Amino acid sequence: MMFAASTIAGPEIDWAGLSPLIAVFAGALFVLMLGLLRSRAVREILVPSLSIVSLAVAGGLSVWQWGERTDLLAGALRLDELTLVLTLLFCVAGIATVVLSWRHVAPREAAHGEYHALLLTSIAGMIVLVAAQNLVSVFLGFELLSIPLYVLCATEMRRASSLESGLKYLVVGSVGSATLLYGLAFVYGATGATDFAAIAAVLGTGGGLASDPLLLTGVALTIVGLGFKASVAPFHQWTPDVYEGAPTPITAFMAVATKAAAFGVILRLFDVALIDVSLDWGPPLAALAALTIVVGNVGALGQSSLKRLLAYSSVAQAGYMLAGVVVASRLGLQATVFYLAVYLVMNLAAFAVIVARERDTPLGDDISSLNGLGATRPMLAWPMTIAMLALAGFPATAGFIGKFYLIDAAVDGSYAWLAVFIVVGSMISLAYYLKVIAAIWMRPAEEDASAELALPPPAAEPVLSGGSDEATGARAQGEVVGVAVLFGALTIVLGVVPSPLFNLVRDAGEALGLL
Amino acid sequence: MTSVELFAWLTLGFPLAGMLAVALGARKLPGRSPAYVATGAMALSFASAVATLISLQGLGEEHRQVRAVAWDYAKTAGVDAQLSLLVDPLSVFMILVVAGVSTLIHVYSIAYLDSDRGYTRFFAYLNFFVFSMLLLVLAGNFVMLIVGWAFVGAASYMLISFWYRRTTATNAGIKAFIINVVGDVGLVLGTYFIFRHTGSLDFLATFEGIKEDFASNDPDLVAGCILLLVGAFAKSAQVPLHTWLPDAMEGPTPVSALIHAATMVTAGVYLIARMHPLFELAPTAADVGAVIGCLTLLIAGTIAIAATDLKRVIAYSTMSQIGYMIMAVSAGAYAAGLFHLMTHAFFKALLFMAAGSIIAAMAGQQSLDKMGGFKKAMPFTYGCMVIGGLALAGIPPFSGFFSKDEILLLIGDRGGWYWGLYVAGYAGAFLTGVYTFRMIFRAFWGAPVPEALELEEGHIHHPEVHANPATGEVEDTDVGFPGPEHHIAERETSMKVAMGTLAFLTIVGGLLQIPKVTHVIDRFLEPSFHESALFEREPSGGLIGFGLIIGTVVGLAGIGLAYVIWVKNPGMSERIRERSRGLHTFLVNTWYFDELIDFTVVRPAQWLGSFAQQTFERVFVNGLLVGGATGIVRAGSSAVRAAQTGFLRYYAALLVAGMAGVIFYFLLAS
Repeated sequence: MMFAASTIAGPEIDWAGLSPLIAVFAGALFVLMLGLLRSRAVREILVPSLSIVSLAVAGGLSVWQWGERTDLLAGALRLDELTLVLTLLFCVAGIATVVLSWRHVAPREAAHGEYHALLLTSIAGMIVLVAAQNLVSVFLGFELLSIPLYVLCATEMRRASSLESGLKYLVVGSVGSATLLYGLAFVYGATGATDFAAIAAVLGTGGGLASDPLLLTGVALTIVGLGFKASVAPFHQWTPDVYEGAPTPITAFMAVATKAAAFGVILRLFDVALIDVSLDWGPPLAALAALTIVVGNVGALGQSSLKRLLAYSSVAQAGYMLAGVVVASRLGLQATVFYLAVYLVMNLAAFAVIVARERDTPLGDDISSLNGLGATRPMLAWPMTIAMLALAGFPATAGFIGKFYLIDAAVDGSYAWLAVFIVVGSMISLAYYLKVIAAIWMRPAEEDASAELALPPPAAEPVLSGGSDEATGARAQGEVVGVAVLFGALTIVLGVVPSPLFNLVRDAGEALGLL
Repeated sequence: MTSVELFAWLTLGFPLAGMLAVALGARKLPGRSPAYVATGAMALSFASAVATLISLQGLGEEHRQVRAVAWDYAKTAGVDAQLSLLVDPLSVFMILVVAGVSTLIHVYSIAYLDSDRGYTRFFAYLNFFVFSMLLLVLAGNFVMLIVGWAFVGAASYMLISFWYRRTTATNAGIKAFIINVVGDVGLVLGTYFIFRHTGSLDFLATFEGIKEDFASNDPDLVAGCILLLVGAFAKSAQVPLHTWLPDAMEGPTPVSALIHAATMVTAGVYLIARMHPLFELAPTAADVGAVIGCLTLLIAGTIAIAATDLKRVIAYSTMSQIGYMIMAVSAGAYAAGLFHLMTHAFFKALLFMAAGSIIAAMAGQQSLDKMGGFKKAMPFTYGCMVIGGLALAGIPPFSGFFSKDEILLLIGDRGGWYWGLYVAGYAGAFLTGVYTFRMIFRAFWGAPVPEALELEEGHIHHPEVHANPATGEVEDTDVGFPGPEHHIAERETSMKVAMGTLAFLTIVGGLLQIPKVTHVIDRFLEPSFHESALFEREPSGGLIGFGLIIGTVVGLAGIGLAYVIWVKNPGMSERIRERSRGLHTFLVNTWYFDELIDFTVVRPAQWLGSFAQQTFERVFVNGLLVGGATGIVRAGSSAVRAAQTGFLRYYAALLVAGMAGVIFYFLLAS
């Protein structure tokens, strides 16, 4: 009897609730092992295929768990519709990334097993992050998502800019992580709790905590740390450089999935744990949102590299989405999640086109690589055009509805001036989005010009020893065109029939129990 | 999805499918096959409309307002925009008329446009028009209505400018489009005024709550309804927004028959009938509609007497007849107005088809001054023209008689100042008799012109040099101009079939609703107007007898006068013209409405435009706003990029600086 009483009761484990996470982790371990095999077919076909399968399974399990609202692992994680809808987004982004990397140079250089295992681990980190409802699990998820990404950015080992990108991301990212950890520690110090619900309970009792310097410093540092991940100005500086240098499929993944993860945790942290001090963090966050919109849109104007352009555009879009967080209402949360979904769709279409053009032309991701695309490759030209129009918020595309929803949330939450910023930002953004469309449809293709200029060969510039020439030359890339067309079409479909997505985000909004 | 909803969607879907098939398959469809595809789509659409009617009649009377929702477009921010149709007797009535007449006009066009190089394009446009029109009448909320309304305007523009190398045609298309856009703006603004109070865009929801949302003659409601009327007037060519319709006769004749007589121009009538719960609550706006309708019917009637272009005479008569309908639905005689809409669609399409036939025999020439004596050469066309003319002039037992007189009876029955409209209506009927038969006598009677003699010998006149009949500019027969061949009803089966069917409908159409005898239209439309206070009225017995007799007499008197002036005494019209030169000039210049609009709108706008361009834009906008704003953005852009040096230490420094700023703010706030 004594013996039985002295055993430590472990937390009850809800395997069903954890199943999406388990599927991704299991996939990561399995492909890592599988990648050690010598057979080329196994490495180049089986490993990516299994990655897709494990992501698809995770997505399917999320759908299966739809409607559950329970705490997992003694309250460390929360399973609700917000977690599940974001998990679905990660799975979609992950699958698209695997498809875009299918014949890309990066996984071959980094070894397929490791590349895909890192990708899956990062996704698992994202799932932990958005499900976290404990300061410790927030940090755990944050690091689990970040560290694989630092490596993934540098997977094109023979290209200097890829390595530079990985290193930059590591250094600046570490500053961000340290800041976040510091902030979380302050919040814990002020409230004496790490659990979100407990923090909310402490803050809800009043007691002068709303103006406690310790808490507020903690909130400020947390905002900075998370703002770094979400590319909020002035913590965005790494974004253009890292986006430009990283292998394009990884850039696409970072642009859509990392952003969704960052906003997922921001929503849960601020709208659940810190909801009672929303008057403290609302105004500065709104100011950051406005600054982000201006910096992102203005910075994008002079860019000639498509990846840099989309990096700045992603900064601006982060500003738009921050407006949905600032208002601290259910409508705001729904608008943010809705925008995250359409943002994923629009950006994947655009990045798929960039991947295709990097392989087709020696111009890399320069905007001139799109010249004459309308005449020569309509299957790429249309998705790019649609994606650009949607990012600019053109009616009849998903981007329009997303932006409309955000503006509605901002006005509803009496942040009308922020809505004005969104509109003005969209107006400025037309200048650079339309520049891309003009290149596609109004400029002639310059096949000969590039040959005469003798530009350096594409993607893999063999500046370091052992450069692989295999990467160059146009190759069959049906799967890339397929991704572009699929997400381009989805952009239109969600613009015309947004109601299914509305229903998903409505459930997510209800799950957090906001007003 | 119930069968009513299914068939309603199919009615809408077939023309769209037809348009896509013709447009996408343009290169692969040989010969006349695009026409067969388009016409087949229309026939299927009409069949679906009939099926909708049958399944709707199968429902109980109180359930005959079906809202067919395909999906919610947006349900945020208090906006309930859905992709929804409203299938009720009123919309079914409209789709039957639209799809039915459109099918016949497609049939007619198969032969009429045969040699035109834009044959395929024509049928794609035509199907697109019908789709838009069906969308307009089936719309279940204001958003869909506005979309249909704008599509119809665009289709009309494309079809008026169908011969796009003819400058007169493109100018007419631009004019029509601009005036229609004025109407679109009115419709959108009116919708906004109403939506602001009701909070719903759905028709049924708006109508149900309208009594709680508005007091009678609420200023916002009156303003909203008058703005809706602006939309209706622009589309239905009512004074003073009518000037585009005569010019629209530059389009091919089947277009005039379909769009500018039978369907599109009656959209205003439909709009007022559809919005009747609003107009009944805003009697001031309804009175504006009735008075404008009455003015239009008189003004158009007088112009038609002096016009010399065959198609323009019919166009002015269309304006005049729509004046009757607008007057009717504004004054609460909904069923009568819609009944007239239907009969008018029959006989006016017939008149245009007959006019098309004779214009073909004249090789494109449209001036009545050059026509004459075609009676013997074109007996079928002549017969159709006379049947249509008698119906238009309101002679029993032709359909126009019953519908027009019912309108006037119901208006007279309301008493008060409506008596003024009643009397004006009969004056208009007299004018109708005069101008209709002036046209018929001048084109078909009298000495045959050379073209008629040539046709009697069995040969259709074809000029050696093709020219624009309006300006005399020389043209070729390639795409963008009319084709080289001309086709008349006497020789083309498809034209004969279309005209024969319409002639039959013109003769018997009136029997649907004979006062005191049959009430088919009344009964059928009742569920759509069940809450209306003005719907269930029957003119008093004495007035019926008197009205029917006076209607006949007035119509016959008009025809008699036309006979005396243009047949009995050949020189008389010139003598009258000499004696009343001023009046004639006034009428020939169509009451100077174009000049009026030019003077009051175009000139000031031009002046304002040049002022804005030369002074305001150059100095203020370009110099200050654009220069300033782009300057700021540019400077900001370079500042942002300058901060983006690529050096890691700067990034870390900026990060720390930003972090310091945020913490500083929070500490200040604490």
